[in-house]
Amino acid sequence: MQEVELREALRQAIDEEMERDENVFILGEEVGAYNGAYKVTKGLLDKWGEKRVIDTPISENGFSGLAIGAAMTGLRPIVEFMSWNFSFVAIDQLISNACKVHYMSGGRFSVPIVFRGPNGAAAQVSCQHSHCVEAIYGNLPGFYIVSPSNPYDAKGLLKTAIRCNNPVIFLENELDYGDKQEIPDKEYTVPFGKAKVVKAGEHVTVIAYSRMLKKCMAAADDLSKKGIELEIIDLRTIKPIDIATICQSIKKTHKCLLVEEGHIFSGICAEIGFQIIEHCFDELDAPLIRLCQKETPLPYSKILEMHTTPTKESIVEAVYKLLA
Amino acid sequence: MKNSKYHFFSTDTSKVLQALGKDVLIEDYKKMVLIRNLELRLESCYQQGKIGGFMHSYAGQEAIQTACIRAIGQDNWYTTTYRCHALALLLKVSPKAIFAELFGKVTGNAHGRGGSMHLYSDKMLGGFAIVGGHTPIAAGAAFSLAYKNVKDKVSICFLGEGSVPQGAFHESLNLVSLWNLPCIYVIENNQWGMGTAAKKAVSAHPIAEKMGPAYNIKDYTLDGMDYFSLHAGFAHIFEEIKKTQRPVLVEVITERFKGHSISDPGFYRSKEELERIKKRDPIYLFKDKLIENKLFSEEDAKQIEQEQIELIKKAMTEAESDPDPDPVHLGEGVFALEDERIFGV
Repeated sequence: MQEVELREALRQAIDEEMERDENVFILGEEVGAYNGAYKVTKGLLDKWGEKRVIDTPISENGFSGLAIGAAMTGLRPIVEFMSWNFSFVAIDQLISNACKVHYMSGGRFSVPIVFRGPNGAAAQVSCQHSHCVEAIYGNLPGFYIVSPSNPYDAKGLLKTAIRCNNPVIFLENELDYGDKQEIPDKEYTVPFGKAKVVKAGEHVTVIAYSRMLKKCMAAADDLSKKGIELEIIDLRTIKPIDIATICQSIKKTHKCLLVEEGHIFSGICAEIGFQIIEHCFDELDAPLIRLCQKETPLPYSKILEMHTTPTKESIVEAVYKLLA
Repeated sequence: MKNSKYHFFSTDTSKVLQALGKDVLIEDYKKMVLIRNLELRLESCYQQGKIGGFMHSYAGQEAIQTACIRAIGQDNWYTTTYRCHALALLLKVSPKAIFAELFGKVTGNAHGRGGSMHLYSDKMLGGFAIVGGHTPIAAGAAFSLAYKNVKDKVSICFLGEGSVPQGAFHESLNLVSLWNLPCIYVIENNQWGMGTAAKKAVSAHPIAEKMGPAYNIKDYTLDGMDYFSLHAGFAHIFEEIKKTQRPVLVEVITERFKGHSISDPGFYRSKEELERIKKRDPIYLFKDKLIENKLFSEEDAKQIEQEQIELIKKAMTEAESDPDPDPVHLGEGVFALEDERIFGV
């Protein structure tokens, strides 16, 4: 085993896949000489050279489209967005080309590509750098959407994403890059479409992913002291959703709280909540509750920032409401 | 084309005639007639309600892609706009597969999923319907060639002058220049972006002559109605790019004979203007040159046209009787097949 930060787990995944397949390359702003804005690509330029670790100009629409064209013609690009918020200037390429080309071309061309980078809020980066994009891209057939919450999953899921023959939206979080965990020295992958029960419990099922996992775990610790045991599910893959694991848990707890960093309207929780109603409504003993980001752009002020996204306290409060 | 502000690539028609020879020239003449008649027949099918959605005719612009593919060869990466029927034909998509696609049949070029604006071949990346959105895709195909160290192939991207104001196009020019990518951008300036005149949409003319240098890209201006000068121009560019491994920006001055799409009657253009334009019909110019050089006669030309009309009719009839897609299969093909290990099976 080795203890690594999440950024190192991602780096290992990229490095190993570049070793395995010469068609894999990475491009993005500051991925090379600067060693990555968040140091995910540290050392890769030195090891692989400018051919396969490519610094781009600030030109997301151009380099995303270029990478899609490269994927259509036989390569396997990894596109790093310095922030997923910058994907908005490339969104035509992602929406009109990446996720549609395979279907639209009658299967003639595929787009094996990974778009990755930090998603959602960090520490006071304000309105234009803090949006969660999963609900936006989740509305488009043709994408897989993955969002790991820890180094083990980050490495295993990224390796799977790079081997995938379709476009993958790979969502990281700036505040998680320094998280440490022991992971195997030996090569491993984590499959898509498999959620994980990270804490077993009998009273309430809590569904979360990415950075919200930690908040749920903290709430679970507090509640545990009061004799309330949460069952926490880390989605890991947002699309396709692992509804079977979710329903299995609800059959046990009969109560469910959904937690999402992104906005409430048309969010991931709205989708999963409805799928729960479709698949296991009869198992529910209480209405579903969702905690999401309030309907404001994410503000700069620390106190406002904290209050617009779910917190440990709001999770605890929601659990009490479910149990009332 | 007499226009002093453009610096057209100079051509010696007799050299092209000699280099290509009778058989090749007649073959390309046939292709241009085939394209024209395909567009005409599709138009009538549309009016009969057999085709839906948007449909954009290449009539008037046939010489450009015909000469380009003759000069550069089919075995390169090609990308174009929604005005894509001709390119598909030239890259060996059968007329029947095109009819079937536009009829929404399962036997269509894209199984009835793409329609008129999205046609493909093994070398044609599309058929893209967001104006300018395909220009980075072509840069990506050029990137793949450079990545794999292929030096005798290029990526060719056709776009309208209506794409020129789009940011994607300028980002693409910057990237292909910055990274030395073998990409030829061919702006087919047909004077109108839907109903907006090029002069009202693009700030710098001649487009390639002004914008090429701004991106440190070699530029050319070609006469889009003259097969011979197009062929000479593209052949020269192809030889040059194989040596330089640098991008090229080409503006081709042309005219579309129809509206922007089937639903556009083109009222922004006067009848007199259209008549004037049609005097330089690329098919007539080509034919006149072939007759003048005694490579065929007016009767031969008539016979060729009749043959192409029959070929198109046959393709249409065959496609019409093909089956519709079965809705049972509606959800298939969204994703490319995966190794089952992706899902941990």
